Amino acid sequence: MMLLGISRHQSGFFNYNFALHLCTVFSTMTKLLEWLLGASLIGMAWGLVTFDLLDLQLPPQYRELVWPMPVYLLVVFGCYSLATVGYRVATFNDCEDAAKELQAQIKEAKEDLKKKGLKM
Amino acid sequence: MATGADQAVGFGLLGFSLSLFTYYTIWVIVLPFVDSDHVIHSYFLPREYSVILPGVAALILLLFVGTFIGVVTWKNRKPKKVD
Repeated sequence: MMLLGISRHQSGFFNYNFALHLCTVFSTMTKLLEWLLGASLIGMAWGLVTFDLLDLQLPPQYRELVWPMPVYLLVVFGCYSLATVGYRVATFNDCEDAAKELQAQIKEAKEDLKKKGLKM
Repeated sequence: MATGADQAVGFGLLGFSLSLFTYYTIWVIVLPFVDSDHVIHSYFLPREYSVILPGVAALILLLFVGTFIGVVTWKNRKPKKVD
């Protein structure tokens, strides 16, 4: 605490204030905070396994499996998005009769307005 | 149901993403548990490329998006007043 240039009395106040703020933050946690918390927990777990920070000595296949995980999850998310968009484009509910009727009505309206003097 | 070109494009995207997902999943998740002298390994690049190739693809995508935005912004600039 000396490094921060504050006295011990002030640092005690900081700790109490920080703890109180944290309690309030947890009781009214926003979705953003939830996601950030989840993402950072998963990120820490990934880092621990990939860089072997706890010397867990997992079998080599599992370590080989874990280290590309962030990129893998991104690619899977991209594939899912692409598949959803493709599927919904292919099964979109076209109404050809309604489209033709609408075009006829637009033509009729344009002619009517031209007659009444509107410049197109 | 959508017809003609819409259906073709839609199902094409769906098929492409499914095959990409299958290939990539086998590459990343299945291969570590397969013996290193199995013939299936000859159909896949070394493991480092499973991270490098999507990274390069993402960079190229960003390049395209940035270029597109730049071109459109450049085309829409007006001499003095930008509304």
